[in-house]
Amino acid sequence: MSTERKHEGSLGMAMKRKEDPRFIQGKGRYVDDISLPGMLYMALVRSPYPHAEIVSIDISEAMKVPGVKAVIAGKDLDAAGLGWLPTFHGLDKQMVLAIGKVLFQYQEVAAVFAETRAAAADGAEAVQVNYKPLPVVADPFAAKTDKVILRPDRERKTNHIYHWEVGDREATVKALAASSKRIKQRIWFQRCHPAPLEPCGCVAYFDTMGRLQFYVTSQAPHVYRTALAIVTGIPEDKIHVISPDIGGGFGNKVPVYPGYVCAIVGALKLACPVKWIETRTENLTSTGFARDYHMDVEIGATAEGRVTALHVATTADHGAFDAAADPTKYPAGMFGVVTGSYDFPVAHAEVDAYFTNKAPGGIAYRCSFRVTEASFAIERAMDILADELNMNAADLRRKNFVRKEQFPYPSPLGFTYDSGDYHKTLDTALEKVGYHSLLNEQAEKRTRGELMGIGISTFTEVVGAGPSKHFDILGIKMFDSAEIRIHPTGAGIVRAGTKSQGQGHETTWAQIVAEELGLDPQNIMVEEGDTDTAPYGLGTYASRSTPVAGAAIAMAARRIREKARKVAAHLLEVGEADVEWKDYRFQVRGVPAKSVTMKEVAFAAYTNMAQNEPGLEASYYYDPPNMTFPNGTYIAVVDIDRETGESKVRKFIAVDDCGTIINPLIVEGQIHGGLTEGFAMAFMQEIQYDSEGNHLNTNFTDYLVPTSLETPHWETAKTITPSPHHPIGAKGVGESPNVGSPAAFVNAVMDALSPLGIRHMDMPLTRDKVWRAIRDAEAREKAS
Amino acid sequence: MNLQYSGEEKIAADPGTVWAFLQNPEKVGHCLPEVTEVTVQDQTHVDAVVQVAVGPVRGKFKLKVELTPDPSAQRIDVKVSGGGFGSAVDLTAGADVVDAGDGGTLLKWSGQAVARGPVAAVGGRVLEAQAKKLIKQTFGNVHQQIST
Repeated sequence: MSTERKHEGSLGMAMKRKEDPRFIQGKGRYVDDISLPGMLYMALVRSPYPHAEIVSIDISEAMKVPGVKAVIAGKDLDAAGLGWLPTFHGLDKQMVLAIGKVLFQYQEVAAVFAETRAAAADGAEAVQVNYKPLPVVADPFAAKTDKVILRPDRERKTNHIYHWEVGDREATVKALAASSKRIKQRIWFQRCHPAPLEPCGCVAYFDTMGRLQFYVTSQAPHVYRTALAIVTGIPEDKIHVISPDIGGGFGNKVPVYPGYVCAIVGALKLACPVKWIETRTENLTSTGFARDYHMDVEIGATAEGRVTALHVATTADHGAFDAAADPTKYPAGMFGVVTGSYDFPVAHAEVDAYFTNKAPGGIAYRCSFRVTEASFAIERAMDILADELNMNAADLRRKNFVRKEQFPYPSPLGFTYDSGDYHKTLDTALEKVGYHSLLNEQAEKRTRGELMGIGISTFTEVVGAGPSKHFDILGIKMFDSAEIRIHPTGAGIVRAGTKSQGQGHETTWAQIVAEELGLDPQNIMVEEGDTDTAPYGLGTYASRSTPVAGAAIAMAARRIREKARKVAAHLLEVGEADVEWKDYRFQVRGVPAKSVTMKEVAFAAYTNMAQNEPGLEASYYYDPPNMTFPNGTYIAVVDIDRETGESKVRKFIAVDDCGTIINPLIVEGQIHGGLTEGFAMAFMQEIQYDSEGNHLNTNFTDYLVPTSLETPHWETAKTITPSPHHPIGAKGVGESPNVGSPAAFVNAVMDALSPLGIRHMDMPLTRDKVWRAIRDAEAREKAS
Repeated sequence: MNLQYSGEEKIAADPGTVWAFLQNPEKVGHCLPEVTEVTVQDQTHVDAVVQVAVGPVRGKFKLKVELTPDPSAQRIDVKVSGGGFGSAVDLTAGADVVDAGDGGTLLKWSGQAVARGPVAAVGGRVLEAQAKKLIKQTFGNVHQQIST
């Protein structure tokens, strides 16, 4: 990588996003924009019961609705061998349409195909399903008792899905027992939902060659193609998956949903294109949710505040099917990063997952496979420990950080952290926020009974899944890929196995090519999401695009450079060994005046290549040697109105270290978006079920998404510690703000409430919850 | 949501008249609030369509009503199940016909109802009050129809 002068639009330049003119002019092309001649619409009949036997399904009235063409139910699919589909975790299966019984409210029961969207909805309303209610298990702790077995279809007759553990249990127990200080806290990361503005949907049809053309809102189009081939038996070459523009994914658009299979079956059965677009309620109630982890966290420490051991035991609520799309060997994802930024001598983490009568999922919402949960747990627990030790939260963290010289750092739970400078990142944030004057202000306010809190989160994330020896989805190793073609005029095209849902790949990928090849990024087109043209990749989620596909693009570009070097030698009339790549051009070693640009070489590659192979293209499949470990320090300053319970985030500073930055504008945008979602989880969002299993947040009046009115002002800064194993040193950033920020908000609120003796509250910290906590604390004080 | 309810309605008619009324499925069906259609299947089974409006949730519920009179105990049990627009309700009620001693009759009722789906989720905050109102209205309608 040349660093002598920057090439326009190359690495580190704040280039405006190439895709934005399209989006801000309303010219994005989403699945629902696709309309085909003779297209039918599909609507799903969903269960109002969370757990019930299906006694009968009567479609006769539905078939009388004008425009309705067909209705299919679970038994029809089962008869065709399509009753169940494997979940992406691979160790469970999920009903496509309910067979025999329903297991969660809003579960798919029947599919109606009609000439218009309205007729399909009317038809769905007219399907009469006779249910016999069964006892509901709406809580994982009730599920543990096995009084009601939810999944008799499984070999093991228990609601317990799996036990997973990592670390040294015996040594951890011993170290905890020997610690002079211990804290223990149950920390619940509530069930929430990423709620992308565009819900899920698809258009399916079989073309004149009998080939399935499948437009779908997928974050992982190639995995869909393989999964559909496995589920339907259609040969994979007869399946063409196209993900057009996507209006937000956040992990919600990783799984293959029952509606997709139904639409394909409908297209086959009726020989017509079929469109299915979810409603908002369907998206919130049946597609991939996030979290629902009940974490019992225990930390041991010396009296001076040096951590000695960490134990975390988690009860996970997975809903009706184990559809958390985790790598096969990691049913609890990357939860092992729960030791965070701290040098624990010993640790042990275990997760037990249970079935309940709730929607399946678990790993969505801008979170690298359970990293948000882990980060929240350790960052909350460190604050609780600071409270127990009567120690400043920043000082406690500083004392226990993994030190710069310890990298590559082997964590006690099995990761090898690549790089970081946690002290520097923390100090940058403290200085920028004006920490010491804030502490003085807080002390003064406390004398007047005012509630002001400063919350710190010094998180470490693990992203970039991942090395093929450890990570796969449905057995497919988690590499990613790129293919680059440079045209005769020096323009080009990059295709990657990833799929942008707003991350800005059309710009970022072009900038990597610009950096590596000295070409104009404005003339590097980026294409993703079409399985006929893009190389096979595992898709975009878990902050893996830049760590994995970004690396593949850099490596493919370097392959092009090597090929171009031969052509350059021919043009420069020297031997290949005498040609060096410097200042974004090929130069004769020692004679900088004698040089050719990549643009000139590209033209020659098609017009004057001598004995060299014509053309200029390369591909690369990148299998990362390790994960990357982005990190940062976030500080929230909160004022709480004692009378109303309202928390106001007065200031928020995010200092991120995501390694080499490709485009600071895009990185900042990612951080703003992620912080807003973290804020939403901390203060507003929860998917609630009542004891009867009713889903209580089925729309945007009951499940809140922050607007610009609620969203605080974000300040950002950076430290840069490149990843030593990534070709350009980049670590990924998409999820950092979501992983790191919830703890900063909650720590700030708890810090504000600490004079009242309040140590922990579960999210979301809504006004009424905080108000009640303050009133209860006041009542306790009065009573004593 | 799960709702328990009970209450009583004083009716200005003798117990025999009230008992006879309660055994007429057509008449009982028409006592449901906002009922638009009543189809008698047999002496103890009625299908009914009612308009439902709970908060912002509005639509038609198709209900199946099953009446189980017990003449010896002067008690009638009612089971209502059904739903619409993705929601479901299951309601059971029992009503005792008691001689008030003054020529009138006391109808003492109690039961429970479970609502599921959008009607429970969206209407959750107002559902309990609304459901109690509807149940009271049903027995109020019984009173009114017997009296007229």
